[in-house]
Amino acid sequence: MKRLFLLALAILTTGVMFAQTKVTGKVTSAEDGSPVSFASIVVKGTTNMATSGDNGEFVLNNVANDATVVVSSIGFKTIEVPVNGKAYLEIILSPDTEALEEVMVVAYGTVKKGSYSGSATVVKDDALKDAPVMSFESVLSGKAPGVQVAASSGQPGAQADISIRGFGSFNAGNAPLYVIDGVPATSGDWSSGNISTTAMSFLNPSDIESITILKDAAAASLYGSRASNGVILITTKKGQRGKVTSTFKASVGVSYFAYDNYPLASDAETEELHRQAWYHYGQNNPNAWKSYNTLEDYVAAKVEQNYPSRDESKYIYKDWEDVLFRKGISQNYEYNISGGGEKGRIYASVAYSDQQGLTSIENLQRVSTTINGEATLNKFIKLGGNLQYSWTFQEGHQEDHSKDDPYTIWKVYLNERWPYAYKETGDLYMERWNPTVSTVNPVPTYDMQINDARQNRLLLKGWMEVKFTEWLTAKTTISSDWLYVHDRFGWLYGHPNFTAYGEPGGYMSDRHRNVNRMVSTTQLNFDKTWGDHHLSAMAGWEAEEEKYRMTRAGKTSFSYAGATESIFGTEYDSSYSWSREEGLLSVLGSLSYDFGARYYLTGTYRRDGSSRLAPETRWGDFWSVSGSWRFSNEKFMDFDWLNDGKLRGSYGTSGTLPTDYFGYMSVYDYGVYGNEGASYPSNLANSDLTWEKNKNWNVAIDATIFDRYTLSVEYFEKKTTDLLLDAKIPSTTGFTSTLSNVGAMKNRGWELALNVDILKKNDWDLSVGVNWSKIDNEILSLSEEGETQTSRPYIWKQGYAFYQYYSRDYLGYDENGMPQYADGSFFKKGATLTEDVILKDGTKLAKGEKAPHDLYNYTPRNRNNSNSVILEGKTALPDGYGGFNVDLRWKDLSFTMAWSYKYGHYIWDDGTDDLYTDGYREFHRNIGKSQVDAWSETNKDAAFPKRIAGNNQGGYYDSDRFLHRGDYLRLKNATISYTIPRTFVNKLSLSNARVYVAGANLLTFSKLHIDPEIQNSGFYSLGMPSMRTVTFGLEVSF
Amino acid sequence: MKRFIYNIAIAAGVLLGASSCEGFLDKVPTDSVVAESAMVTMDDAKVAANGLYTELMYYSMYGTHIPYLGDVRADNIYPKDMGGTANTIYLLDFSPTQTNYFSMWQGFYNIIMRANTFIANINTLETSSTEEAALRDDLMGQAYAVRSLCYFDLARLYGYPYLKDNGASLGAVVLTSVVSPSEARLPRNTVAETYAQAESDVAEALKYLSRAKNNGHFNYWAAKMLQGKIALYKGNYQLAYDANVEVVENSPYRLVPNDEYLAYWSRVCDDESVMEFLVTADGDIDSDGGFYTIYHNLWFEASNAGKSLLPTKKWRELFKDTPNDVRAEMIKYHDPETGVIPGQEFYWLKKFVGNEGGTTFRQNNPRLFRITDAYLMAAEAACHLGKQSVADNYLNAVRKRADVTAQDVTATVDLVLTERHKEFIGEGHRFFDVMRTGGTIVRDQSIDERDYAGATRQVIDWNDHRIVLPISATEQTIYPELQQNPGY
Repeated sequence: MKRLFLLALAILTTGVMFAQTKVTGKVTSAEDGSPVSFASIVVKGTTNMATSGDNGEFVLNNVANDATVVVSSIGFKTIEVPVNGKAYLEIILSPDTEALEEVMVVAYGTVKKGSYSGSATVVKDDALKDAPVMSFESVLSGKAPGVQVAASSGQPGAQADISIRGFGSFNAGNAPLYVIDGVPATSGDWSSGNISTTAMSFLNPSDIESITILKDAAAASLYGSRASNGVILITTKKGQRGKVTSTFKASVGVSYFAYDNYPLASDAETEELHRQAWYHYGQNNPNAWKSYNTLEDYVAAKVEQNYPSRDESKYIYKDWEDVLFRKGISQNYEYNISGGGEKGRIYASVAYSDQQGLTSIENLQRVSTTINGEATLNKFIKLGGNLQYSWTFQEGHQEDHSKDDPYTIWKVYLNERWPYAYKETGDLYMERWNPTVSTVNPVPTYDMQINDARQNRLLLKGWMEVKFTEWLTAKTTISSDWLYVHDRFGWLYGHPNFTAYGEPGGYMSDRHRNVNRMVSTTQLNFDKTWGDHHLSAMAGWEAEEEKYRMTRAGKTSFSYAGATESIFGTEYDSSYSWSREEGLLSVLGSLSYDFGARYYLTGTYRRDGSSRLAPETRWGDFWSVSGSWRFSNEKFMDFDWLNDGKLRGSYGTSGTLPTDYFGYMSVYDYGVYGNEGASYPSNLANSDLTWEKNKNWNVAIDATIFDRYTLSVEYFEKKTTDLLLDAKIPSTTGFTSTLSNVGAMKNRGWELALNVDILKKNDWDLSVGVNWSKIDNEILSLSEEGETQTSRPYIWKQGYAFYQYYSRDYLGYDENGMPQYADGSFFKKGATLTEDVILKDGTKLAKGEKAPHDLYNYTPRNRNNSNSVILEGKTALPDGYGGFNVDLRWKDLSFTMAWSYKYGHYIWDDGTDDLYTDGYREFHRNIGKSQVDAWSETNKDAAFPKRIAGNNQGGYYDSDRFLHRGDYLRLKNATISYTIPRTFVNKLSLSNARVYVAGANLLTFSKLHIDPEIQNSGFYSLGMPSMRTVTFGLEVSF
Repeated sequence: MKRFIYNIAIAAGVLLGASSCEGFLDKVPTDSVVAESAMVTMDDAKVAANGLYTELMYYSMYGTHIPYLGDVRADNIYPKDMGGTANTIYLLDFSPTQTNYFSMWQGFYNIIMRANTFIANINTLETSSTEEAALRDDLMGQAYAVRSLCYFDLARLYGYPYLKDNGASLGAVVLTSVVSPSEARLPRNTVAETYAQAESDVAEALKYLSRAKNNGHFNYWAAKMLQGKIALYKGNYQLAYDANVEVVENSPYRLVPNDEYLAYWSRVCDDESVMEFLVTADGDIDSDGGFYTIYHNLWFEASNAGKSLLPTKKWRELFKDTPNDVRAEMIKYHDPETGVIPGQEFYWLKKFVGNEGGTTFRQNNPRLFRITDAYLMAAEAACHLGKQSVADNYLNAVRKRADVTAQDVTATVDLVLTERHKEFIGEGHRFFDVMRTGGTIVRDQSIDERDYAGATRQVIDWNDHRIVLPISATEQTIYPELQQNPGY
């Protein structure tokens, strides 16, 4: 836009010329040597000027020999070049990101960064371009203050867990709204959950121009009822005017575990730990070894039975890690073309990516293509369209304590004494090792299991912009977002999960889901400047409809070995279809006024009507006001050291819709009784159901000083009321809960970001950025005074954080090595104590006294007699998190690093009940390394209590022994890139060439025994941990 | 697409101040039915009546927990290993903070809500023929019978035996209409009041129910047995006698003969069964495919069987002197596949073998009423009433059915209870039979070394607070009016 405008200006002002000497020349970019078109070349002190053409060339007449020309172009630093009598001038412009008032994509439009008074972080394509990832989410980790990003699994294609400014919802999720090129998009996991998938993996990160993360109400509330969890705006690449460039990029990489998860006791240690467990069991149960001569004989027999010695004559033993896992190879090839002229521009790309996971059944492939184009029809009308299509194919395995998770099986069961996958005959070892253990050899499951998802996604968008006058335009957009997910899950004929039970079995089910989202938006934009006054306004409306259809078909008991389709099944498994529709209607508007580039004021409004709510409650209003004072533009603040400075603040509202599409209705569900239908009321009507409401405020100061320090400090508070909760109701109603708007929660926090340009010389560039965020979260109320809701291992209670841990409090072991836990009886303030009480600090209260405050009895008890307590101070919320990045360039070599960190939070290691059980489970199990230091008669100062076989007191049972500080620092991404000198590249008729090495999760510093990058809830359940990836890449442009 | 554009046009109207665009936002579910349209015809009513039974047979109700509380809590069945699924029940280790066994309270109120909704709606339906009128009566009778069963079960699970204190202890919250959350915060009624509701409901049901066989559903005879059972628990022996004698003498059901007894357990709705729940898929009892059921856990003949529950030595020894008793044939000695390890050989119960035509051994129709029960209830009532010859006849009929070589005995209440002990293993009777008659259950490792709960001798009688289930502490926090049972 701006370039066009300048061009017009240039043409108009090229007027009278003075004849002295004719000078020609060429303007090129220092960045890649490409010609710079539309640059203006002005003879200093005159009105004599020229504009460079498409090839960067220009002609100036009547130039004095001693004249100086001033060359400027949008996006480049303006330079002055003395003519010195030369007839040909070679002018090289270097890019300038500062002088240009950066334009950023925001809700329903773009603004100049300086005039924006909302809170938003922009992540540019530089950060994405070389990162060895297939989806952009993980790159955001540590990049944006206030944004927590974690992977839900290390399997390729797994869903990312993103939370923006804390947790605002109990029931309706905390995922942000995704908007692609201005259109709300389908996001989330639409597969059946046998593997984690994300609808966002369809986007090739290379096609992304920028990502804007909207955080406060001023930024997000134009998205109304869906804005509470923040909004992620993705802008895809557009064609660049000027020469057509095409780029080919290829990379190949290799991945393996990023962290030493769950260190295990050695073989000898494990045997000794089993021995201890059975010895202690025998001591307690003399009856058990009546038929043996001595306790030692009994222990030896039990150890042999539960941790059998190796029998090389019968089995082949090998390293299970080697058998189960591989180095994952990733490949990525992409080609894009970009170009345009006065009348239009286009960007198109095709890409193929393939990322292997660490087992032979983990894999993600993607073919994607993008075409973005626009055309100027005449001086009134501009048209454009986007097409994005991608096909992804993802394979994986189940996780979380699942016997289909090779990772769980490896860590928990497989060890040096577990016979190799193959018998000495060469056959796969298929039988269950022992009838009491349901685990089977995972290797044969690889070929006999189908667990995959294919996603087809097509985004189509068309738009038209009508420019009525310079200050009034209208734009209408219609888009269709079609997502088709087909996932399959099956255990084929002969799968060990069947053969272990003596039947060949076979099970296959196909699930098809179609999600169609149609969005139509029409906006009227007004933008006018009178002297120092600038006013812009927008009014619009939007209609959105989502149509969903699901079909499932499955059969069991195959009759042919090798069958992979359910048609071979002899019995029907559940097969059905259903559909759903949702509508959202909205009107929206905004008004901005600024004066003298110093005072900015903006108001936004949106009214949403949703089909998820009853007619009486379905319309809601959301609004925001924000303002900023750009004090650096004040005359009295005209200091040399102050480059830019701004104070800003905002207040506004947003909402969250219920996840339940028909939660307000009373409905009957249908099932089967005998061979007839059966129906029954399944939901209590709640016509008062409404959105969760957010009230946010935000204050911030942004400043750039001494030409090198850019600092931003921000404070926010976000209060959510009418929280949607499955509120418990008396079960005498016939229901145990009903979805209601009850409860309130508050998030507040600080966000700091500092960027320092340490060095900026000809050959050198060095900048360092740091950011830090802290979020406090507090539940202000639930449906009832004093109500608690627990969901292992968390509790929701007034005054506590959303992810407050709630479990037994382990108090160490007694003189016999037996674990002790706090009694955990709870007494409300003023209640009469029904037992003698010891408080956590040791204070004793006698039975019959009144509780001086709410309290838990901390009297040490055994496991059976202890109850969960609120574990004060132990939450999944970090004391701080963020990242830092270093960007270094020396001549043609550049090096970037992005670190992320998090500290002060606790993680719940749900694998504790498998690996740190104090003997509860014995059969052929691995044992966590740290259990080696267990109590015994000779080790009474141990880290762990006494091990007893079948121990029903110890680590198997939930307690705060499952909790660990989660502090970590991780090198998320690092890239070294070398741009091959142009003199050499040009000989190959290339315009640019670059090679690079990029890595993800390269270094991790943490005291944890498991990979510290865990979903934001802090819950880890033996899933696939993250991968470390290193890739080598090449990029050439023509 | 056309509709979409149309809707956009309507949406445009909003901007211009027009008011109607609600059509676009009025969506209804396709996988369920809005309540107002779910029960408008008699066909709908039949489907809704079936909905009264689906929850009753769920594993948290008659599908497993009632048998657990009747057999595992008593001296019929115990867990094979410590840490088994039925552990808490075996040890009577209930606590108000555990929610799993409170699910029965929640389940019964869910069914009561269904019955109350059904009774309120059925009266508004028009009938156009005498057949439809008869069907409407029968369906209404079923709803009353189901509600009666719910209140009776709530009273015997959460309240003390009626005869301990004439029903003075706390029972259920009696509700006869659908209530909103704010109306539902009512304190518990006494056991006597709960019994009274169950009695009046079953009397109402008997007015309407058809006498024809109606597999899987309450009919007149099933309701009559329920009436007789409530009366027996209450000590109203005359009514217990009359009701059960009526069923024995006049109903179309029969005692299955000795040579068919073992096969009977695989039969679906044999004439022995007055009322059984219909399980037609592995997932009917628990959505996990039957893996939580008592049937899975008792089974041993498949490698993926549960193998976690065993009949007690005490129960096995009931047949010590009667080797010809067909019920003793249900005891199976079985070596574990790994070979015999000392102390690991087991005697299993092979009673619930899976429905004929069903897919697995997990699929069994839970029996609510068998005609045998009517015989034994009538015999027990007859003993109390001094009708010795009737008592002898009925008791000996059951004994001789089981053991053709058995000699006649003179019936006593104790002999009837022993016969019930032998007959109803796994059907959820034993614990209630002992408690309602003021008996005791004794566990001692000196009697049975496998009885690991008996490490310290346990004597359980109706004075023990653990014989009633606790009210959930969570439920009390949302609803403090709900009284806890003493001792918890």
